[in-house]
Amino acid sequence: MSLPSGHTTGHTDQVVQRRARCWDIYQRRFSSRSEPVNPGMHSSSHQQQDGDAAMHGAHMDSPVRYTPYAISPYNRKGSFRKQDQTHVNMEREQKPPERRMEGNMPDGTLGSWFKITVPFGIKYNEKWLLNLIQNECSVPFVPVEFHYENMHASFFVENASIAYALKNVSGKIWDEDNEKISIFVNPAGIPHFVHRELKSEKVEQIKLAMNQQCDVSQEALDIQRLPFYPDMVNRDTKMASNPRKCMAASLDVHEENIPTVTSAGEMDKWKGIELGEKCADRSPVCTTFLDTSSNINSILELFPKVLCLDGQQSPRATLCGTEAHKRLPTCKGSFFGSEMLKNLVLQFLQQYYLIYDSGDRQGLLSAYHDEACFSLSIPFNPEDSAPSRFCKFFKDSRNIKILKDPYLRGELLKHTKLDIVDSLSVLPKTQHDLSSFLVDMWYQTEWMLCFSVNGVFKEVEGQSQGSVLAFTRTFIATPGSSSSLCIVNDELFVRDTSHQGTQSALFTLVPTAFSSSVPAFSQEQQKMLPS
Amino acid sequence: MRKYRSHWSQGDREGYQRRSNYYEGPHTSHSSPADRTREEVVTPTLPGHAATRSQMATSLDFKTYVDQACRAAEEFVNIYYETMDKRRRALTRLYLDKATLIWNGNAVSGLDALNNFFDTLPSSEFQVNMLDCQPVHEQATQSQTTVLVVTSGTVKFDGNKQHFFNQNFLLTAQSTPNNTVWKIASDCFRFQDWSSS
Repeated sequence: MSLPSGHTTGHTDQVVQRRARCWDIYQRRFSSRSEPVNPGMHSSSHQQQDGDAAMHGAHMDSPVRYTPYAISPYNRKGSFRKQDQTHVNMEREQKPPERRMEGNMPDGTLGSWFKITVPFGIKYNEKWLLNLIQNECSVPFVPVEFHYENMHASFFVENASIAYALKNVSGKIWDEDNEKISIFVNPAGIPHFVHRELKSEKVEQIKLAMNQQCDVSQEALDIQRLPFYPDMVNRDTKMASNPRKCMAASLDVHEENIPTVTSAGEMDKWKGIELGEKCADRSPVCTTFLDTSSNINSILELFPKVLCLDGQQSPRATLCGTEAHKRLPTCKGSFFGSEMLKNLVLQFLQQYYLIYDSGDRQGLLSAYHDEACFSLSIPFNPEDSAPSRFCKFFKDSRNIKILKDPYLRGELLKHTKLDIVDSLSVLPKTQHDLSSFLVDMWYQTEWMLCFSVNGVFKEVEGQSQGSVLAFTRTFIATPGSSSSLCIVNDELFVRDTSHQGTQSALFTLVPTAFSSSVPAFSQEQQKMLPS
Repeated sequence: MRKYRSHWSQGDREGYQRRSNYYEGPHTSHSSPADRTREEVVTPTLPGHAATRSQMATSLDFKTYVDQACRAAEEFVNIYYETMDKRRRALTRLYLDKATLIWNGNAVSGLDALNNFFDTLPSSEFQVNMLDCQPVHEQATQSQTTVLVVTSGTVKFDGNKQHFFNQNFLLTAQSTPNNTVWKIASDCFRFQDWSSS
C-alpha cells in the first residue's frame, strides 16, 4: 500500500505538517537537555552539538543528535514525497562512513529488529513452539537466532508489522498443560549477530545508549498510561498549541512509574518516528507507518516501556545493564509433579485432616510408619515480647536455631508412631481450611514422595478459640498399602497470621489445591470458606 | 518408646556431654584441605558409619542420626544463605547435578537451569528465624543418608518488598573415609504471602 507517486491527499499533508511542527517545537525546547546518541538514528540538518555531557560518555566522530522528525524543516511546503527525497539525500551525505557497514539493509541503514520473547519458554521445544506461534500468527515470519535465555525463549524478526502481528498472538496460544503462552516484543536495538559487523567501539556506544534507555525500576508501565502518542496524532490542534504541556504531562505519568526516566527515555518514545524516517528508504515498514495513525499506535506499542500488558512484567532488552535483567519470577500456585500423584496427595490430605480435625487423632496411627519422625516449630522473632496466640505450641517447638541443648533437641523430635500420635493428641483442637491449601510436591522417587502443604487453620476450643493460624507442613511419605501413603517424616511449622496479612490473602479467592476437587464440607467447615 | 525415654534421660545424657564438643565450635571449612571450597557443607563421618547404617531401629543409631542431622543442618544453613547473599554464583555448588528447585511454584531442574535461575534472581538479604531438621527414614531413601531441613525467616530481594519465606531442603550425604559432604537433592521455596506478591 504505497503512496501514489507525487501525490498525497491534502489532509494527510496537513496532518504531517502539524505533526512535524509539534515535534520540531519539542525538539527545540528540549534541545538543551542532554541526549545520548543512538547511532541507529539518522542525522539531521540540525547538527547541534550538545557538548560532551550530552553523550554520556559515548563518543562519536561526528556528533549526531537524534531528532525525532528530521524532515521537519522541510515539510512546511510540498508533498510528503518531496520531503522523503530531500531527507534521504541529506541523510546520506551526513552519515559517518562506518554507518554503511551496519545492518542488513541495502543502503546500509539498520533494519528494525525486534526481539520476540516467550516467558518461561525454556520448557518448550523450539520447533513445536514456532509452529504453534505461526499457526496463530496472521503473517508468516522468519525467526532469526532462536535461543533460550535464562528461563525464556527468544528470537528476532526484522519487521515492525510482523513484530506487531506476533504480539497479537500473545495469550491466544496454549501449551500442553493448558497454560496460556504469552509473547513479549521489544525493539532489539542491534542484535548481536549484526554486532559482528560493527566495530567494537560502535558496539560500546550502542550499549551505552541502550543502558541509558533501560529503566532500573521493576515497575511496568500500563499500556493504558501511554496516552500521548495517539493524541499527538489525532488531536493536532491541541498539540500544536501547547505541545510542551502535553509532553510534560506525559512525562509526569512516566516518571511516576519509572523514576529513572531521563531524556534518553523521552527519546525512546520517538523511536517510532525513526521508523517513519526509514520509510524514506522505502522499506515495507514505512508505508504502513505513515498511512494510518493506528499503525503509529501499534508500532509505538512495541516499545519497552509500553510493552507490558496490564499487571504483567515484560522481559527486558538484552543490552541493558547487568542488574536490569534481574527480576523475581511470577509466583504460582500449587505444584504437582503429575496428575496421578496430585490426586494421591490431595486424597491423602483430605483424609488426614478429616481425622486430625475430628477430635480424636488416634485414627492417624495408620497413617504413620512405625519409625516415623515428627517435630513442630514456631518462628523465633526477637521482637516478640507479648505472648502470642500460638504460644501454646511453644513448649513443643523445636527450633534448633535457638534451641541449643542437645538433650532437648532429642526430646522434641518425636520418634515412632505411638509417640507421634500421643504428641499430636495434646496439640490444640483445630479446624483446617482445605480451600486455603497450597501444595508443593517437590521431590519424588519410586520410594519417596516429598510435599509441603501451606494453609490456615482455626483453633476451635480454649482461650484462643476462633483465632486463625497459618502453617506449613512437610511430609515425606513412602508408598503404603492399597495406594495410600505412609508417613516417615512430618514437620509442622506454625506461625501467626496477624502481622503478615496472610489471613486475608489466604481467605480470598486464590487458586488452591482443592479448588476443583472439594468434597462436601461439614457445616463447621463451610463457615471457614471464603464467602 | 519407654525404652527410648530411659535412654534419653539417663545413660545417654553423659553420652551427650561427651559429644558436646560437636556443638561448641562451628565446623567450618575455613581450615579445609586444598580440595574443599567454602561452599561445601562438611561434617565428620560417623564412626562405624557404614556398618551401622542399616540399623535404624536401635536407639543409639537413631540418636546418632539425629545429632548428625542437626550438625549438618546448622552448618548447611549458615553456608547456604551466606552464599546466596554474598557469593551467589557459587550457590549451585551446593546442589547435586540433578537437583530440583520449586520456587514459588516454578520448577527448575538441573545445574544449568539452576545456574540461570540464580543468575536471574535479584540480589538478596536473608534472615533465618527458624530452623528444624529430621533424619529421613532409610526406607524412603534406600539407605542414602538424607536430612530434611526446614527453615523460615525473611528475605529482601533487591527491588522488591520484604517477604516472609519458608524453605525446605533434602540434603544427601556423600561420605568419604574422612568426611561427609552434604549436597542439596531438592529445594522448595515459598513466600508466605505469595498470593499478594
